[in-house]
Amino acid sequence: MSTTELLVPLHVKYIQSLGENKDDLAYHLTAHLRLNAIYWGLTALCIMGHQDALDREEMIKFVDDCWDDEIGGYAAHPGHDAHLLSTLSAIQILTTQDALEHVKVDRVVLFILSLQQPDGSVAGDQWGEIDTRFLYCAVQALSLLGRLDEFNKEKAVAYLRRCRNFDGGFGSSPGGESHAAQGNLHEVDEQMLGWWLAERQVPNGGFNGRPEKLEDVCYSFWVLSVLAILRKMTWIDSEKLTTFILSAQDPEGGGIADRPGDMVDVFHTHFGVAGLSLLGYPGLNDLDPVYCMPAELIKRKGLTKAWLALPRRDAIGGKPDHE
Amino acid sequence: MVSNHNVKRTRVSPEALEAKRLKELSKVKEYLALNDDLLARKRSKTYRKEDFEATTRILSINPEFYTAWNYRREIFLNGLFPASTPAQIDEFLSSDLDMTMAQLQRHPKVYWIWNHRRWCLEHVPEGPGEDGDSREGWRRDNWNKEMFVAEKMLDRDPRNFHAWNYRRYIVASWPSIRTKDDELKYTKKKIQSNFSNFSAWHQRSKVLGAMWEVTPATRTEQDEGMSSHHTYSRFWLIILEEFEFVKSALWTDPGDQSAWIYHRWLIGEGDDLVVLQREIDVIEELLVEEPDSKWCLDSLVHFQRLLLQHKDESSVDVSSIQQRCAFALTKLEAIDPKRNQRYQDIKLQL
Repeated sequence: MSTTELLVPLHVKYIQSLGENKDDLAYHLTAHLRLNAIYWGLTALCIMGHQDALDREEMIKFVDDCWDDEIGGYAAHPGHDAHLLSTLSAIQILTTQDALEHVKVDRVVLFILSLQQPDGSVAGDQWGEIDTRFLYCAVQALSLLGRLDEFNKEKAVAYLRRCRNFDGGFGSSPGGESHAAQGNLHEVDEQMLGWWLAERQVPNGGFNGRPEKLEDVCYSFWVLSVLAILRKMTWIDSEKLTTFILSAQDPEGGGIADRPGDMVDVFHTHFGVAGLSLLGYPGLNDLDPVYCMPAELIKRKGLTKAWLALPRRDAIGGKPDHE
Repeated sequence: MVSNHNVKRTRVSPEALEAKRLKELSKVKEYLALNDDLLARKRSKTYRKEDFEATTRILSINPEFYTAWNYRREIFLNGLFPASTPAQIDEFLSSDLDMTMAQLQRHPKVYWIWNHRRWCLEHVPEGPGEDGDSREGWRRDNWNKEMFVAEKMLDRDPRNFHAWNYRRYIVASWPSIRTKDDELKYTKKKIQSNFSNFSAWHQRSKVLGAMWEVTPATRTEQDEGMSSHHTYSRFWLIILEEFEFVKSALWTDPGDQSAWIYHRWLIGEGDDLVVLQREIDVIEELLVEEPDSKWCLDSLVHFQRLLLQHKDESSVDVSSIQQRCAFALTKLEAIDPKRNQRYQDIKLQL
């Protein structure tokens, strides 16, 4: 099969098969990412219009089993410790499945708020790793729960300012190098950041995460999401990027890899599909670039921001309309 | 798999797949036994030496198992440390630093390993002596060793942002380990061995920025104990050398974006008209040699637009600058079609 179009049935089958690999050592070695993986798989399915391909009840039950009652958050796997990353994944999954009543909201909010440090930064858990990614996770989780007003935004913004670099990008901590995966909250120099992001596109159409590094499908989403928020999606070559993402598909087993010819995984499958949705690829559902969740869902919750993705194309080969 | 990076796809026959499955079965069984044993110990909240060893066994197979790292630290805090002298605690932590060093060789980008090192460092007790310098002995030794490790990791992969972040963390925690001048020398060495190493350029901008407070645009260096005249001339010397350094990088490979991005930082807001004009001349000189250099043209547009801020100066001819920008942007649209919408948008703003 050729990789000039998105192989939806194969990807659906690939995502369905992920839970059936229990004889692979790799499956067990990645238990610490299980809840994240379920969020990636579910969101990719929603964007491809196949939300029901994974069993809803079974999924909700698994999320419930990941609850860490001692800490008051969700772990990535039953029996593991709660962490902010998996707590966000749990809230995203339950929001998408319209099952937020399973969340002990007050306790989760308390857990998330307890992770904010006096300087405004946010830790991933009680062991204290600090990263701007965690600040994003905290804001998104609280926002989905309707409790963002309890978060100290002034301090958080002051902290983010300290992570900002002259090139318009953000590092993972003050002094850190700008990284395309760190850029989701903002108060930004739009011209400068737009320039830096547009220059992440390399000659084969893919995006890298930092200057003079290799391209990778997951940056399609990291870079595109911020460009959509800046309403500057037209500053890159969307056709070339579309071709690049499609070429990283596995035309036999399904799934999308970091680049053409590599092993696929659910992380890159999700971010590849998410990128294609923002690029207006035909037949896909809209993705909200701020939450990286189905746009319709975020709209229903009244949380939609003023982002702008490329218009959905009708047919394969149709050119995106640069309006 | 959940997340692969840079692993080539291979086709295997169903027979080979079945053979692999059978071979892996015993490994899976063994791993699950370790896993279940560890989680049971954790649930029972025991913090003995044998529990500690159970974490070592599973982490040596799977360093991403963050819950096992958490349990390991709980064992230190609740079981091993309370029963130990400061010297023994120092030894425990040193040996954990050695263990994670070996793991970093195999897994240089696993966050949890880097995190555990930080935790260890922050728990090194005071000692061996009780006063002054000797009280800091263990800590100093460990921080020094840590700098060595971070720099070894950067020798292996000069773009590893974990190692760069970690290195910044060491300098921030133990400032005497590297002076600003040491940092300038280190970043220069890294850049000279590879001009594409933007991580090193970035670090250089942070060091110089701290020396000048914030950005070069504000230009207020604070070197205490120096006469203002001395400070002033030293400051200009550093700046001049820096422009010469970046110029040599630009001429070496005008297609590499690292030095161009740094050059843009160095000029900043372009408040100094003389410097701005001089650097525009430098780029125009390079453009004669490389008429189709995208980065030459893009930088010319950026810096000439900064010139427009000085439109009250007699040397700044607004309409000629606008014309030159428009000309460069038209050329950019042709040689860099991927981003032509950006060039068109800028043209509209001229």
